[in-house]
Amino acid sequence: MSVETRIAEEAAGWLLASQGEDMDWQGFTLWLEADDRHRQAYDQLALADDLLSAHAPSLAGAVIEPSVIAHLPVRRRWPLWTGGAIAASLAAVVLAGQFMPAASSTYTTQGAAQSIALADGSTVLLAPRSRMTVSGDGGSQIALAGAAYFDIRHDPRRALAITAGQLTVTDIGTRFEIRQHPGDVVVEVAEGRVSAQAAAMAAPMPLVAGKRLDFDMAAGRATVSAVVPQDVAAWREGRLSYTSAPLELVARDLARYAGVRVEVPRALARRQFSGSLFISDGNAAVRDLAQLMQLGLRHDGAGWHLEPAR
Amino acid sequence: MVETIEQGAAGGLAALVGVYRADLLAFLRARCGNAAEAEDVLQDMWLKLSDHATGGASGPVQNPRSYLFRTANNLVLDRVRARQRAMVRDHSWLVEGTVASGAAVMEDRPDPSIRADEALLVAEERQVLHRALDTLPPGARRALQLHRFDGHGQAEVAAIMGISRSGVEKHLATAMRHLRQALMDCGYFGPAASSGQGQGNTADER
Repeated sequence: MSVETRIAEEAAGWLLASQGEDMDWQGFTLWLEADDRHRQAYDQLALADDLLSAHAPSLAGAVIEPSVIAHLPVRRRWPLWTGGAIAASLAAVVLAGQFMPAASSTYTTQGAAQSIALADGSTVLLAPRSRMTVSGDGGSQIALAGAAYFDIRHDPRRALAITAGQLTVTDIGTRFEIRQHPGDVVVEVAEGRVSAQAAAMAAPMPLVAGKRLDFDMAAGRATVSAVVPQDVAAWREGRLSYTSAPLELVARDLARYAGVRVEVPRALARRQFSGSLFISDGNAAVRDLAQLMQLGLRHDGAGWHLEPAR
Repeated sequence: MVETIEQGAAGGLAALVGVYRADLLAFLRARCGNAAEAEDVLQDMWLKLSDHATGGASGPVQNPRSYLFRTANNLVLDRVRARQRAMVRDHSWLVEGTVASGAAVMEDRPDPSIRADEALLVAEERQVLHRALDTLPPGARRALQLHRFDGHGQAEVAAIMGISRSGVEKHLATAMRHLRQALMDCGYFGPAASSGQGQGNTADER
């Protein structure tokens, strides 16, 4: 076995272990210190892992089903992939499918997020358990139920509008997240700016990077607060980060992003949580939450139940 | 089971950063490969946890040491990801020149003047992964399918495949190693990490 292969195997072992609760951090430190290449291997594996997560839904069939698209004609050159690592013929179909949306395309996610390329080169990462419909001229109308992270190329010639609940977001040239819950819609801007509007609002509300808009649909009330840009859509990186967020909202997010059911009694619903939860293991995330909040925790057939501290 | 730390403005977990400072710093130095960045990350972490302390996250945690190391590792990964994103954007690992040369793609587009690289990126990443998955050894492929795509825990995968837990870990490690190699061969991690363009591949995996 070559040194490179041995390093890659060890790094892969550490990557798997570091997602769990009983990681040997001391041993990992020693392993990293032993050779500079160890760090690089671990980083690259983590990036490969990210990429796999981002593409998991569209690849799900690919693992078991052998590729059926390999025989289509070459339609495009691959200037940088001169090593021949990629069969050029594989490429065209996926591209064609992505760039020619029907009059209306709907994307629905279950347990994993899905990365969606829009016709103008923008991308959307649709969160787990969410639905998005793209329609209109050049895909200019997007309807969202659930949550998504948008990375939108600003094009003044095109009026893109994203609707979530009663809120419409326009005038977009930026990266931002929209989360829609039964009673409210949250917009968090990581970069650039957007404009948010609802019938109940007197005028469109401009939002710049580092701002968060909370729109309470029942009350028709919009609240703007600050958000750390790096924390926007942190679920993309296996993390949920909060600053003074009501516990019931944290529980809803855990259901969506980590797939765990957590029941919060009414008495605790408005308790505020600040901190980060790692969601690669949903059950561990719930335990972390209970510990950080010093709450009791019980599990039964219906899922987890948070309780006042005993 | 864990000592209760005084709560207050910089209490709780932020105070524990002080308790484990030496270990955390040694870990971060090795993790970042750079002493100055390690200090930065530790500082970031302390600030984050201090902020959180005022919002209620100041209580004792059952395994605070593990939580702090995971947090530190995640903060480093955030930086690694940011650098990767910047690298992909700047060097556009695969699409240099395609806007001019990719005639077939341009025909399909509603407005040919709009740059295509980000959408291409998504499609091309998927192609690299797709091909890498196609060529995985059968055991690794099945373990990955069950664990990552079907959502089974590692213990369940072991039961389904009739192998040990460590056998599952080996399969998953093999799968991840192959995916990384495929990305490396395409220059995803930047020119420095690949074998040089037009030169064939870094060999030993093939």
